[in-house]
Amino acid sequence: MRKLLEQVYSAATVLAACCLITIAGLVVLQVLGRLYDGARQLFGLAPVGFLVPSLAEIAGFLLVGASFLALAGTLRVGDHIRVTILLHAVPSAAARLLTVFALTVAFVLAAYFTWHAGLLALDSHRYGEVSFGILPIPLVYPQAVMSTGLAVFAVSLLDDLIAVLRGKAASFETGKPADPIEGSE
Amino acid sequence: MDLSLVAILLGIGMLAVLAMGVWVAVAMFAVALAALVLMIPVPAGAVMATTVWGAANSWELAALPMFIWMGEILFRSRLSEYMFAGLSPWMRNLPGRLLHVNIVGCGIFAAVSGSSAATTATIGRMSLPELKSRGYDETMAIGTLAGSGTLGLLIPPSIILIVYGAATEQSIARLFMAGVLPGAMVCLLFMGFVAFWAVINRAKMPVKEDALPFVERLKATRQLLPVIGLIVGVIGSIYAGLASPTEAAAIGVVLSLLLSWLSGTLSRESFANALIGATRTSCMIAFILAGAAFLTVAMGYTGIPRELAAWIGAMELSPFELLFALTLFFIVLGCFLDGISVVVLTTSVILPMIEQAGLDLIWFGIYLVLVVEMSQITPPVGFNLFVLQGMTGRNIFSIARMALPFFLLMILAVVLIVAFPQLALWLPEAMSSQP
Repeated sequence: MRKLLEQVYSAATVLAACCLITIAGLVVLQVLGRLYDGARQLFGLAPVGFLVPSLAEIAGFLLVGASFLALAGTLRVGDHIRVTILLHAVPSAAARLLTVFALTVAFVLAAYFTWHAGLLALDSHRYGEVSFGILPIPLVYPQAVMSTGLAVFAVSLLDDLIAVLRGKAASFETGKPADPIEGSE
Repeated sequence: MDLSLVAILLGIGMLAVLAMGVWVAVAMFAVALAALVLMIPVPAGAVMATTVWGAANSWELAALPMFIWMGEILFRSRLSEYMFAGLSPWMRNLPGRLLHVNIVGCGIFAAVSGSSAATTATIGRMSLPELKSRGYDETMAIGTLAGSGTLGLLIPPSIILIVYGAATEQSIARLFMAGVLPGAMVCLLFMGFVAFWAVINRAKMPVKEDALPFVERLKATRQLLPVIGLIVGVIGSIYAGLASPTEAAAIGVVLSLLLSWLSGTLSRESFANALIGATRTSCMIAFILAGAAFLTVAMGYTGIPRELAAWIGAMELSPFELLFALTLFFIVLGCFLDGISVVVLTTSVILPMIEQAGLDLIWFGIYLVLVVEMSQITPPVGFNLFVLQGMTGRNIFSIARMALPFFLLMILAVVLIVAFPQLALWLPEAMSSQP
């Protein structure tokens, strides 16, 4: 069970990273196409007019994938920002209580959010909503990815909540010491 | 219930939840949801899902992970070595000598990196050991680095300006251009201070090294070509209107990978680490932005920002008085919150107030980022302090004291851009027409 959960978290993070690679790849392709056309025009040739269809929409959808699929992995290494002054100042029993509180709030919210994101995707499917632009992409796909990412996030929060209630440390407290530049800004 | 009472309760609730260690993004969602459920008869869950979907699915925002990724790649490359070698021959003869490498190095690296943590860590990794071995005053070495590292926020590309642009629907390209001159101005202020300090503290400066002949200096300058190439490719193409910020950022990622490959630092491991680091950092920021988008919509429903704007309007403050009060407020908030949280928390509430006061939103973005830069070096929560604590082993309060002169110089910079708004606005107005 533990192993399976860990695999799900890392698989989601890897998928998120793949979304970023795809964004970079598609955008660079588009720019190269434009440069190639510019070069052709210099030699008096007609432009080929190469472009990646609906790039803006696709990049937006991939960004949703990258942002939401990485939620759980980011939580577990402690990269989500929180204010820890009080946590470090109070006795450990009180800190544990605060962590339980934070995890409970986050879990309830993530579960509620997953449910409503799922409903949104379901609605898009029911009414056959598609994106604007040259390629009509059914919105249900990226929205389903968003719900999936949120669901994995909710599971990881529950996972940590159970761990803390059992008296263990939360994943984000034991995570590796953060790389100095992986701060927010 | 009276609206002002609700506003105060929500504000206290937000601060309490944040203080208790709830993640910033989660706290924003929770407070927004509470406001909607308690006050407004709308389907809160559906509003939340639609708002977040709309905010997260954005072409402009795709620039964010790309610039973060670029910074992660460059941090792992040998760019900082090249920069130190290229810059130091020129700085040797200025009063303050190699201390200027910190400032100019950070200023230049900030032009390829969007984050102050990455800027501080990349430049400091090279310059701190070098300065120490040459006998420079440690207080000044760390202080200059802490102060100038924050330039990563102001000089484009800038993660926090993308966040501000996304939260307020301003053109990111214009915000980027608006940051250039104020960034250069802060650099000059810092350099002036260091020169002045070096003149009156001669005893604390190490023995002067011999100046290099001019030809040697020019040869050393070649080491700066990679970073200059990156700046021209990324910022230049945005300024010339050849590329949108997202396109320029993706090109920047490819160029950085190329540079990393040429300098022999690109390996499977460094590629994977940079990519995963970028994925996590951008996920964290996107999550906060999602929370902020929902909070903005929820606040809009409650009408609190409008009431607040009217209330402030009724006080008939001059823009200067308003900005003075806001600056104090941001400095206090910045002591406890990170910069991005400060920006998104406040833009969701105070934007109508700013518009009513007749302030330009591009200008206000630059002002806000300058103030947020100061929050990077104020204890107990300041990201540059954390980075430098990790690098030097000194505690954050002593680092903050070393950085204090630079904090004060940034206050001076704020005064200057309030007095001369054209410092920020001239370049975006001069740039070629863009959407």
